[in-house]
Amino acid sequence: MIAREKLMRLKEKFGPAILRADLPGAGRLFVFVEPAALKVICEFVFRDLDARYVTSVGADDRPFSGKFLVAHHFAFDAEHLLASIVTLVPADQPSVDSISAVVPAASWAEREMRDLVGIEPVGHRYLKRLVLPDGWPDGVHPLRKDVPWNSVPAGFDDEREFQFDEPPEGCTVVPFGPFHPTLDEPSHFRLYVEGEMVRGCEYRGFMAHRGIEKLAEASLTYNEIPVMAERICGICGCVHSVAYVQAVENAIAVRPPARAEFMRTIMLEIERLHSHLLWVGLACHIVGFDTLFMQSFRIREPVMWIAEKICGNRKTYGLCLVGGVRWDIGPELKIELGQVLDRLEAEWRAVVGAVSKDTNIQQRTRGVGVANPALVKNLGLLGPVARAAGVDIDCRRDHPYAAYDRIEFQVITAEGGDVWARLLVRMKEVFESIRIIRQCLTIMKEGPLQLTMADELPVGRFGLSSVEAPRGESHHFVITGENNRPRRWRVRAPTYQNLQGVPAMIKDQQLADMTISLGSIDPCFSCTDRLETIDLKSGAMKVWSQVELEKLARQKP
Amino acid sequence: MNLLWSILCALANVAIVLLVAPLFQGVLRKVTAVVQSRQGPPVQQPYLDLLKLLGKEDIESGESPVMQRFAAYLSLATVLTVACLVPMGFAAPMNSAGDVILLIYLLTLCGICTLLAGLAAGSTYSLMGISREMMTMIALEPLFAVAIIVGVIHTSSFRLDTVLNGSVYAHGGFPWSGLVMLLVMTLSFQAFVQRVPFDISEAETELMEGPLMEYSGPKLAVFKFAQMAKLVVHSALFVALFAPWGSGLAFPLGWLLFWAKVSALVLFVTLVAATHARFRIDQAIRYFAGLLVLALAALVLAGYGL
Repeated sequence: MIAREKLMRLKEKFGPAILRADLPGAGRLFVFVEPAALKVICEFVFRDLDARYVTSVGADDRPFSGKFLVAHHFAFDAEHLLASIVTLVPADQPSVDSISAVVPAASWAEREMRDLVGIEPVGHRYLKRLVLPDGWPDGVHPLRKDVPWNSVPAGFDDEREFQFDEPPEGCTVVPFGPFHPTLDEPSHFRLYVEGEMVRGCEYRGFMAHRGIEKLAEASLTYNEIPVMAERICGICGCVHSVAYVQAVENAIAVRPPARAEFMRTIMLEIERLHSHLLWVGLACHIVGFDTLFMQSFRIREPVMWIAEKICGNRKTYGLCLVGGVRWDIGPELKIELGQVLDRLEAEWRAVVGAVSKDTNIQQRTRGVGVANPALVKNLGLLGPVARAAGVDIDCRRDHPYAAYDRIEFQVITAEGGDVWARLLVRMKEVFESIRIIRQCLTIMKEGPLQLTMADELPVGRFGLSSVEAPRGESHHFVITGENNRPRRWRVRAPTYQNLQGVPAMIKDQQLADMTISLGSIDPCFSCTDRLETIDLKSGAMKVWSQVELEKLARQKP
Repeated sequence: MNLLWSILCALANVAIVLLVAPLFQGVLRKVTAVVQSRQGPPVQQPYLDLLKLLGKEDIESGESPVMQRFAAYLSLATVLTVACLVPMGFAAPMNSAGDVILLIYLLTLCGICTLLAGLAAGSTYSLMGISREMMTMIALEPLFAVAIIVGVIHTSSFRLDTVLNGSVYAHGGFPWSGLVMLLVMTLSFQAFVQRVPFDISEAETELMEGPLMEYSGPKLAVFKFAQMAKLVVHSALFVALFAPWGSGLAFPLGWLLFWAKVSALVLFVTLVAATHARFRIDQAIRYFAGLLVLALAALVLAGYGL
């Protein structure tokens, strides 16, 4: 067994630093280690055992073990194993060695841990705020258990601003965002530009942080969370709800009925279809090719309609429950879905033919926004970005979930790692998705959709789940808890990793390529700013502060 | 009497350009919509858009509002002045008022207006827009000048009515220099009227309209109007230089033929715009540089009487 073999290697090397280990079934490994040895063990796992970095989690475990919990997750993709290196940190001094020097991909996750749980990553080189707003008072960490979900901390400093680094010499600053026509959501890149060349950038995002994890840990229940999880993303919502329920199912070791697994697979692939069609359209729009943008959206529309017929909604399918699904596909819908797929395949073939022959698009995308395999490894880049660089990872095959273990499909990879390669990968994946749905429709058998669940779920169990979203791996981590809700639920969307790769992708590139490079990872960002009003009568100008705006908004008309 | 007549004719040209420019824009949008499987706005929509913008509040914004206003007016004025110098189905109205050198100056002035507009806004994005516009202008403007000068060499005249009447072929038959210039101008025409793939200085998805970003209301209407008129005027110039056939026909025929040719050109622009992605500035400059070499070769050929 692979998990046991990895554990033996760790024990051999680090002996006494390994406190205990859990092997709760195939494909999962939890190793509890001494805090002092965390960094060297992670380095060994990441470099010597060549694991892929997934994410890091910080949790306030004080009410249960009296300590804080830190976990770094790694994936052994070729060996179908997800591993978690866990350590417990004393409550009076919540700090842990930063691993970002040896695992650069952990940079954001450690900053988030510092912001939200207040665990200090010692030795981290860039300790600016990541998630919390600039004016948030120091020392208040919203994900700690003693902070109520609806607390409004005193001392919010309206005047405090994010301190950006000094731009390099000879460069001018071009602010890209927080609002820009190619950004669907607020996000701020401060670009350092020399002429038309981008020399570097600094990122400040998380302007629409909604505190979903806190809400789930403090006031929702197990079966309410999938509905919330679906609203994490406007495009790949189903991915998050499936990933969440699978994490819970993984923690309590149950498996949904076969037909439910097939339903999940079908809906996930329908979601991938419409997401990829949307992306190809947007990418063409970014480089000024609006005709293809319109055509992809026309081709995409029937996919949205069939989704609405299956579950009553174009988006937010409301599909998942812990231990099952809520919707089924009847014989009539099955035929209709088949027809939609046939038409989609024919029309998409025409689009792919047109794009592949278009030298104009190739000129704008070849050699642009390159991410090489080393960058993919170091920053943990995912999905089409990794596959376009020739890194053959896909959770559907590597960590099979739902019904993917019973289905034949090809993982599409390409060479070059540029925007063109990502375009090719996404265009070809559409055909694979069509193939997957067709197979599901043929082989799925009648059967129940839901398990009968015991009233109480066991407490304190860990669950991991990775689901291949259209943009890459969505990873969810759950610690089951009391009161019919998890103690900790951590969501890591693929953009979280891919966005960290953007500064390297746009460095020393034309400014005109910035938008398509950023667009090529298919970013998914989720602010209250100041705004100016002018009194027409007196002509006086007034700048509204955030506090005043909030007051205005809460006033009854 | 003669002066009065030419002024009247010039005014007629201006009126026609102002009247048909939104119509051409409407057709352009409709055809684009058909190519994109959309229904598209009704053909008269640009007229309504302009009326709506003209009726909006005139907001002063950007670094220097005075220059901003000036740039908009100058832009429309320049295009309309060019309209007075170009034959549109009849002889060039203000024939005796200027020569082709004036025409070359006025065409350059159109680009200057965009620069002024960008400077007036004064934001990073508009400044980047004008730096791109400037690079484009330097590479692009010589092309039209060379086309006109080839005509001047063939006809040994600077007069508008002589040069703007297919002068590039004036040696009878199809001289090489004329054909090369026809090729060069066809390949660069999209850039003169600032449409995809050469709408680089405004690129909505990169620069958020660049130089025009601070424009709104009536001033935006004036600028947009100037851009629409530019498409008509440049098409008329192109037809006058490279497709003069039939201009000697009697009134309704020659006139109709002229507008048919202009419409065909607008259709060409629309289809190219609908089937291409935007070039990056360095790619565009390299493309223009290639054309410039061709144009200079044509100039040399014309010098040898070919």
